[in-house]
Amino acid sequence: MIRAILRAQWLSMRSFRLASHRRGAVFSLATAILWYGFWTLLAFLTEEVTAQPGLHAQIADWLPIGLAAVFAYWQLAPLASASLGASLDLRKLLLYPVPRRSLFLVEVLLRITTCVEMLLLLAGAGIGLLRNPAFHAWTLFFRAPLALAAFATCNLFLAAGLRNWIERLLSRKGMREVIGLLLMLAAVTPRLLFITGAPMHRFAHLLPAGRYPLWPWGASAELLLGAHAGLNPAAGAATLCAWIALAYLFGRWQFERSLRYDLQEAQATAVTARNRSWADPLYRLPSLLLPDPLSAMVEKELRSLARTPRFRMVFVMGFSFGLAVWFPMALRGHHADSIVSGNFLAVVSVYALTLLGQVTYWNAFGFDRSAAQIYFAAPVNFTRVLAAKNIATAVFIFLEIGAVATACSLLRLGISPGRIAETFVVVAVCALYLFAIGNMSSVNYPRGMRPQRVSSGGAAGRTQGLLFLLYPIALLPVAFAYLARYAFRSQLAFDVVLACAAALGAAIYVISMESAVSSARHRREMIIAELSSGEGPLAAD
Amino acid sequence: MPEAAIAVRDLHKSYGGKPAVDGLDLVVPRGCFFGFLGPNGAGKSTTIRMLNGLIPPTSGTIELLGMRLPEQEIEIKKRIGLVPDESLLFDRLTGAEFLEFAGRMYGLARPIAIERAQSLLDLFELRETRKLIAEYSKGMRKRLAMAASLIHHPDLFLMDEPFEGVDAVGARLMKEILLDQVRRGATIFLTSHVLEVVERLCDRVGIIDKGRIVREASMQELRGGSESLEDVFVRVVGAGREFHELEWLK
Repeated sequence: MIRAILRAQWLSMRSFRLASHRRGAVFSLATAILWYGFWTLLAFLTEEVTAQPGLHAQIADWLPIGLAAVFAYWQLAPLASASLGASLDLRKLLLYPVPRRSLFLVEVLLRITTCVEMLLLLAGAGIGLLRNPAFHAWTLFFRAPLALAAFATCNLFLAAGLRNWIERLLSRKGMREVIGLLLMLAAVTPRLLFITGAPMHRFAHLLPAGRYPLWPWGASAELLLGAHAGLNPAAGAATLCAWIALAYLFGRWQFERSLRYDLQEAQATAVTARNRSWADPLYRLPSLLLPDPLSAMVEKELRSLARTPRFRMVFVMGFSFGLAVWFPMALRGHHADSIVSGNFLAVVSVYALTLLGQVTYWNAFGFDRSAAQIYFAAPVNFTRVLAAKNIATAVFIFLEIGAVATACSLLRLGISPGRIAETFVVVAVCALYLFAIGNMSSVNYPRGMRPQRVSSGGAAGRTQGLLFLLYPIALLPVAFAYLARYAFRSQLAFDVVLACAAALGAAIYVISMESAVSSARHRREMIIAELSSGEGPLAAD
Repeated sequence: MPEAAIAVRDLHKSYGGKPAVDGLDLVVPRGCFFGFLGPNGAGKSTTIRMLNGLIPPTSGTIELLGMRLPEQEIEIKKRIGLVPDESLLFDRLTGAEFLEFAGRMYGLARPIAIERAQSLLDLFELRETRKLIAEYSKGMRKRLAMAASLIHHPDLFLMDEPFEGVDAVGARLMKEILLDQVRRGATIFLTSHVLEVVERLCDRVGIIDKGRIVREASMQELRGGSESLEDVFVRVVGAGREFHELEWLK
């Protein structure tokens, strides 16, 4: 049964991704090589460090902390990046007489899609410990694989449960925004504690294994290090077993609840246009400034995105991250007395711009899916289509800046109108470069996205990772402007370099637009096919 | 002789060397209600997509309303109403918002687009629902797609399975509207697997099989004496096919 599901998924991916979208497959392969290459390198370094006999005391101290970090990444990183990985599409699979435990097993195995990098690190640490003479004992050959496998199993069960729980929470009206707020609070809390002078050392005892062996990372370290670190491996094994049982029960419970969950019902109460009629005049604003059909497309884009759960989640995350940076500084009474803090508004706004990319300009037609064919069927120039998409994204970016700047002003952070205006200009220039690349990727690598799903697949995580590597290159011309201001201590130098960056960005944008329009003309059939494509039994958009 | 609404000559479309449309020749007169029939995979949807410019042909020529595609693509598109097989509705808009959007995309001024959208919502009995398209039933989506195809008052309609999933009341309404359009001089090019619908509405029929037109005639000529359209269709495209019983299904 499981093999049939996995084979169906493989055939779905193979027939579509590899046959009709070879360039996309090559791109995916390249991102996978870069992303996992980076983590393999990190795993190798971990192996080298944990194999050092002279570091055995430090390893004993830091191993539980490292495992706690792996645990945190495994459970929280998919949520923080709004990329929850592949999952079973239960709507398709519930039709068949498949035992639920088999479905749950597949769901658990799919959690590997969000944590392959952690498995690499664990393998690196395990091999390093086995090679380390300081920990050498024949029992380690049994304990190390056992401890790491048990730790991974516990994480997989827990991740499966969390994913199902969070997915249901996020599908409800208002909960997405609450989750965004909680994420912001989670990000702010350590800074708040630090800035308000809370005794941080009191929290330190939570981590070392010897003093706190009841957490999975502590128990795993106890089983791994054993008597060499003065620990009791049997107690660690027993604790880990208990954690695995708890995680299994939690995962299974949440999975069963997801099976009974009616997504359509939850969202039927969430989205009705009547509730949003107050926003109509705002959506009509583009009609006052732009000609049709450009304004019609911008208006449609604003309405659609504002009502798309996945977009709203990312938008709130961009905004809340801004506050997460600024709010602790407000409490501290910190003012713009350094290069970084003086430009925080710009930094936060550019961050919001990059974050919104995954739901806007990198894949501009993703939420339109098959409806994107109207852009090819209607009598409109495709340049205007892409321009409308970019304008709508810019409107949301500027809303983000406005929101963060307003919050800063309310908190009396001393943001001058000049600095706010500068941020708008800087973000606009950055947007030129990112939109230029985004327009190309939107027509060459389109991918249908489900608007109601707030999560995205494992591949999206890799792509995001690669994009974070590309962002510094794309934003380099703007960075030069800041460098010029720092080097020459001159606002004029900043303005001149920024103007040059803007001119270069505009030229690149125009060239890229022509190229994207040409690609769209030649690839229109492929674009529509890719955006309309069905999926296999696993949902990973 | 009046100008043809659709004139297709030696049209080819191949995928990986395999022909989906293989030398299609077709002339549809203006004001005609044309039924385009064929078994699954015969090339109907591919032909419609080529006619509305969604996919380029491998070779051959297409003339719509006396204009060449793709040379006069924008002018042609302005005069075409499209109901494709895949949804072209944006799920996060309401029906009214989508119709207004479609009208403006086809060059209508905003006030006119709003006015026509409201009257089309009335006509297609979609007025009461202010919900988003994502919550529409399949039949409502088809009705809305047809409403959108009418908003700019086109001269030629290209419709791929427009009645699929529509209930009897909705289908009756849609048929009457289409017949009205033909009476005013518009041309309708329609595919459907529901042969009764084609039989009742169309005055001319073309049957495509394996990418080629295998029969094209007026409805009267096609049916001849007492044969139903289904009999003709099965005879033309289904000849020689045998039904093999499976032992284990008995």
